[in-house]
Amino acid sequence: MKVRIALYGALREADPRGHLELDVPPGSTIADLRELLAAHLREHAPQVNAGLVRISAFASSEEILHNHREVPADLELAVLPPVSGG
Amino acid sequence: MDDLHVAVVERADAALDVAAALDFVSDPRFGGISVFVGKVRDFNLGRQVVGISYDLFVPLALRTFRNIGERARAEIGAPMKLYIAHAKGDLGLGDLAVVVAAGTPHRAEAFRTCRLAIEAVKHEAPIWKQEHYVDGDSAWSEGCSLCEQPSEGAQDHSGHDGHGHAH
Repeated sequence: MKVRIALYGALREADPRGHLELDVPPGSTIADLRELLAAHLREHAPQVNAGLVRISAFASSEEILHNHREVPADLELAVLPPVSGG
Repeated sequence: MDDLHVAVVERADAALDVAAALDFVSDPRFGGISVFVGKVRDFNLGRQVVGISYDLFVPLALRTFRNIGERARAEIGAPMKLYIAHAKGDLGLGDLAVVVAAGTPHRAEAFRTCRLAIEAVKHEAPIWKQEHYVDGDSAWSEGCSLCEQPSEGAQDHSGHDGHGHAH
């Protein structure tokens, strides 16, 4: 299935549209999605530090989705690098 | 909820408003008000800063602010009003980045609530800071990873968890 991922912070620089789409096998977990995104960035956005994905969180607009969670279908996700508000 | 105000304010639309924050947390029950104002400063990590751009994941940021408010209410155990507003977009030196205000019956709860809320905003809210330097370069700040859930009751973020908290 296609999963749309909104990009924030330093990861915005991976795609000028501010999001990207990954093809994710049904039943994948967030941990799987993390690997897919890191691989995608290494191939398509070498200017971005793909290692950042290792310490980034995935989230819906309502909550952080931890590694064991299944990737929800039909829901836009966001990838959140380490935060620096205030 | 009446006693909690959360907002993300696009800088191009308006500046953050400390008077509005004080007004919101004022209440006949409350003799103590504590306010934290975070501003854009001119120097960080040895570099001259000329501005900051804030990127936010707005729906989750607002939800996080609300969760922080609920946690503060449970933690403090006293009547309170809490105001949390963060700026978004391109800010210049001296612009307000964040305003947190807490009103409670006495000063001790007001200070505690305000401190708890600003520390949680910095460590938990999906907000990213890009600094712009006098030489034309820009850099995203290193920050706190959201991969680990904050532990229950871990309110003392005073710098012993390994990343120094220069921010």
